[in-house]
Amino acid sequence: MEFEHQRCYVYQPNAHEERPPKRQRIGKASFQPQLKARIQTYRDLWAEQEQCIQNTLEEADSVTQGSIVDFVAAAGSSPDEPKFAIPTGLVVAGPSIASHGPYFERLGRKIRADTNSAYTVLTAGECPNLKTLLKQLVKKATSRVDEEDEDDLDQPSRPSRHGPKLLNYDLGHIQEWRKKNHVSSVVVTIQDSEAFDAGLLTDLIGLLHSWLDRIPFVLLFGIATSADSFEDRLSGQSLRYLEGERFDVTQSDDIIEKLFSATVASLDNRLFIGPQLCRRMLDRQKDYVQNVQDFCDGLRYAFMSHFYATVPSVFLDDRLKYEDTQAESLEAVRNLPSFRQHIETRLEQGTFARRTVRTLLESDQELFDKIKYDISSAQNELSSLAHAANVLFSIREALQMTPNVKASTIWIRAASGDLLESPLLRETMLSLKKTPSNKFADLLSTMEELSSQKELPYERGPKDAVVAIDVSGIQSEFNSILAQKETSAPLRTEHDVQNDSVRATVVAQKVLLEKHKAALSKQDQAYSDLVTRVYSHLTSFFELTLIDPQTLLFSEIFIYDLKSPHLEVFQPKPRFSVERAMASPHDYLGCDCCGSVDGKESALGATQPATAIVYQMYLESGALINVTDLWSAFKAIAGDEDNDEESKTMALFQRALAELKYLGLLRPTKKKTDHVAKVMWKGL
Amino acid sequence: MVSIKRRRDDNEEEGTPRKLRARIADDEAGAESDAFEAQTPSRRARNQHLTDFGTPKSILKKTGTANGVNVTHAATPKSNRKLLFETPIKSANGETPNGTPTIVRNADRSARRKSNRRILEHATHGEESDEEAFDEEEILAEEILDEEVGAVETVEEVTQVEVPVPETPSKRKRGRPKGSGKKKPKSPTPPTELPPHEEYFWQNRPGGLKTSNNTLSAQSLLNHDEYFQAISGYEDRHQSEMDFLLELHSRAFDQWMFELEEGFNVCLYGYGSKRTITDKFAAHLYHHMSEMAPYKDSKKIPKIAIVNGYAPGTTLKELLTTIASIAVSNVTKLPNQPAVLLDFLLDQLSASPPSHPIPVILNSIDSPYLRKAPVPSMLARLAAHPSINLICTADTPNFPLLWDVGLKTQYKFLFHDATTFAPYDAEIDVVETVNELLGRSGRRVGGRDGVGFVLRSLPENARSLYRILVIEQLALDIMVQGSDDDDEAAATPKNKKVAHAKAAAPESNQGVEYRVLYHKAVQEFVCSSEVGFRTLLKEFHDHQMIESRKDAMGSERLWVPFRQEELEGLAEDLASDAF
Repeated sequence: MEFEHQRCYVYQPNAHEERPPKRQRIGKASFQPQLKARIQTYRDLWAEQEQCIQNTLEEADSVTQGSIVDFVAAAGSSPDEPKFAIPTGLVVAGPSIASHGPYFERLGRKIRADTNSAYTVLTAGECPNLKTLLKQLVKKATSRVDEEDEDDLDQPSRPSRHGPKLLNYDLGHIQEWRKKNHVSSVVVTIQDSEAFDAGLLTDLIGLLHSWLDRIPFVLLFGIATSADSFEDRLSGQSLRYLEGERFDVTQSDDIIEKLFSATVASLDNRLFIGPQLCRRMLDRQKDYVQNVQDFCDGLRYAFMSHFYATVPSVFLDDRLKYEDTQAESLEAVRNLPSFRQHIETRLEQGTFARRTVRTLLESDQELFDKIKYDISSAQNELSSLAHAANVLFSIREALQMTPNVKASTIWIRAASGDLLESPLLRETMLSLKKTPSNKFADLLSTMEELSSQKELPYERGPKDAVVAIDVSGIQSEFNSILAQKETSAPLRTEHDVQNDSVRATVVAQKVLLEKHKAALSKQDQAYSDLVTRVYSHLTSFFELTLIDPQTLLFSEIFIYDLKSPHLEVFQPKPRFSVERAMASPHDYLGCDCCGSVDGKESALGATQPATAIVYQMYLESGALINVTDLWSAFKAIAGDEDNDEESKTMALFQRALAELKYLGLLRPTKKKTDHVAKVMWKGL
Repeated sequence: MVSIKRRRDDNEEEGTPRKLRARIADDEAGAESDAFEAQTPSRRARNQHLTDFGTPKSILKKTGTANGVNVTHAATPKSNRKLLFETPIKSANGETPNGTPTIVRNADRSARRKSNRRILEHATHGEESDEEAFDEEEILAEEILDEEVGAVETVEEVTQVEVPVPETPSKRKRGRPKGSGKKKPKSPTPPTELPPHEEYFWQNRPGGLKTSNNTLSAQSLLNHDEYFQAISGYEDRHQSEMDFLLELHSRAFDQWMFELEEGFNVCLYGYGSKRTITDKFAAHLYHHMSEMAPYKDSKKIPKIAIVNGYAPGTTLKELLTTIASIAVSNVTKLPNQPAVLLDFLLDQLSASPPSHPIPVILNSIDSPYLRKAPVPSMLARLAAHPSINLICTADTPNFPLLWDVGLKTQYKFLFHDATTFAPYDAEIDVVETVNELLGRSGRRVGGRDGVGFVLRSLPENARSLYRILVIEQLALDIMVQGSDDDDEAAATPKNKKVAHAKAAAPESNQGVEYRVLYHKAVQEFVCSSEVGFRTLLKEFHDHQMIESRKDAMGSERLWVPFRQEELEGLAEDLASDAF
């Protein structure tokens, strides 16, 4: 049975297309050693990440949501008291409209759970006018508890013993429903207040106000711009009916930043998303979408791609035993560029190293152990790297330095390995040297906190042990210096400019500028020494931790930084793809016949598909195209002399025209007979 | 003003290198004021002279000579006419032979100023100045400005070359002959390598549109039978490459399934019909699923919903009903409204989620039937549900414009390029589309004969109504054309644009207004009530003999989908009661 012209159906396998050939093909195509194990590892890792994301999101939301819920609860606390204005929450949710829907959904869940209220969300799309709006409102408010079919509501007057049946947009429905269900307030949420007609909003407010003595309404407005501009849109009359309170939702920029440090820049990551990809994702957030969900999807897809396509990624599984590994996976590891590089450098290091190389190449067991060991140590190092980026950010924050560089930016620079030599770091360290004691106190408390997350090593001790900065020791030393301080002015270091004075003397008609250090007090001197010590410790800490991740052995396993599938999958260029397919079909077909003709790229060849030929002629022509001329040109290129062939050529031509029309490149015109109008210009 | 100019020029002339030019121009003017036959020898002599002592620019000289010879031996009627036309003006201007060159120069100079002014004017309020006229004048202005830049030598060259060809800008006087601008050798080939936006403006420039008036003969387009016969015999030479592309895409099936499992939806785009891919994918999915838990070793079979969005009349309701038939086991009574049905379906899916997400394969999500307002957002809501896996294809190049950021988030699409180069066999009705594209949808009924066949089987009244419609439409067409012709006859460049606009107007106002037709019909006692009128029209509609559309004012317009020649034939047949 032919299904191609049927509109909707349930798939049924073809009878004659039986399994054996299919199975064979699948078996061959999916050469994927240990795919199951990898996917399982992905699921484990992603579950952790997702947990982080959820926590971060909830944390970001919780404060405002809590206050909105309190507001709603307060409004509904005394339902029978007469009110003169509708309690109104102005929820300033920011410009990322894509996240408004989920936000109000979460809010609704919380409101319904925590207060005794009915909650309805209205969007501009479903409410073109007041009548439809009220219908929607009635339907949504009442159908939450008892399901009523739309059809019943549509039938207007069915006389009952309560008098005439109400119309389906009468707020009396809600009143009746409230009597039955005893809710303390009815929350009406206007999700996208900017998209509503101002007149409609005014009408709605007026109407709700007039019902306020019977139904305790609470209004929530989702605002993407600002509360002021919302106020400007309403008339004074309707503003008098409202009793507003403003709630600022955490903006998506901040949430993204938080998410970033919770996921990508987290300290206990097993898979690291590389700087290139991160920059791309963040730029996309900034420039186009502003959407938390999209960021999470991007991250998830990066994880998916890594574990799906990279065979050695199976070694990221902590519980993996040597017995479970397949030879193919180890073989794949031996082919990694970083491994080859490693082997080559080892080979030049003498006989002992050469012997290890041999064992790595020959013994799977040895290689396995090496991989496991190196990966965990590299993960440690990368974690230190992330920590260092975090430390730098915190120092800048504690010292209140401008410009305000985002933590994600610092992380990306650190991960691409160019932070160590960057002016950013140098500048920060210089201003650290000059810090007066009042700011230094902030800095120390930040460092205290950071070192509790992960210690701050500044020196490599014997046998992989490290010497960490003793923050609490410094802290107590600092406190004792402060205790001896006599003046109220903060202590200053010797590098502080305020201690310098410049003396100008004229010697033999030349001006000599001399810098003089003011004499430092004893406390100042002690403080200065302390700061210098912290400075040198931190400097060596950064030197120790800020490595270039790409140089690590097996970096392909634990770093994912490919832009290739990511870019196409999230930012496709369909128009470019279609245009390319038709303008140079050879790029896709890769056939022998349609390549470059006589060394000329993109020349029209008779062998090209008919649509491609017509399309290329289409590109050359003006805004109006004479089909007759197009046809004769086409015939000249693609046609044969044979008369019988002409109908075939014509069929191809007609098909090409129809395809161009279907793709939206042509439209009919009445300007001239047998002409068509060009709609799209290539590359525009 | 001219006289002051002249005096200054005269002063300048003393001992300036321009003298040479002046002399040549003298010659030229003298020659021109002579009769055509008389001037040739002198010109030839001068050409000869220049060949001997002239500038080293030999190519130019040669052309000059060649032209001169050409003129002498076989003066084409064209240039002849031109000269005769120009002569009186010249003589009027150059009464004194000596005065001519300065006049020429003055004219040039004032033209220069004028053209500067014009360009300035155009820059400030370009809309008001007439574009077509401007086009010509601009070219002239630019040329004059160019000339100014060129040294004396260049001027010489120009005279040399252009002397034999009468229509040169340097020789044009104040009263430039009408239409001579057209002779200006415009580059016949469009500029290549323009950036796309420049190309757009180039191709849409006013007056830039010149296509031939050729028309396709009615026989050359194939009808359905011929088309299918021809295309069935056709074998694509790229079949093996297309198969390879398909094979490449099917290698990604497992990856797509993984993506679907992870809660994403998949959208395939690229040139070529992707139906084969989705078919194969459905088969793949089916086999994969039938080996999984709930289906293996049981009678149950996996169910995959397939929707062909391109099929005419596909509605969201059908789509939802199909999915509901899979998702909801004990179908009691499905709600009627699509919106309610969607809510119902989503509630059902949330309340009792199926053991695995339901795969929905949607071919051509960007088809015209699924583009309109509520459908994309409702589809997005459906796709956002975790128990639905949507695999869709999109054909048009600009399909992402269908969705805003919010919808895109809901859809959660991963996009894959799936270019196949396969013909859109099911998606497009080729013959019909081409006919529509060329405004020949009348061919559908089988042309004039088909209409006759239908009309013969209809009552007298119907025939009369059809005749009224045809004649009214013809009258309208002729009216529109008549006004066009009038305009064009008086076509100074200024109102050409208006004419153009008028010609474009009927595109929306095509056909006869419903009211008008009804009143005519009542007047001629074809029908007595609107109900009867409607009944008659319906018959025509059913046979696709008329088409209707709402125009910009909201009133319905009816027309017969034939071109004028065919309409005339039809009208004749109807009038002579051939049917």
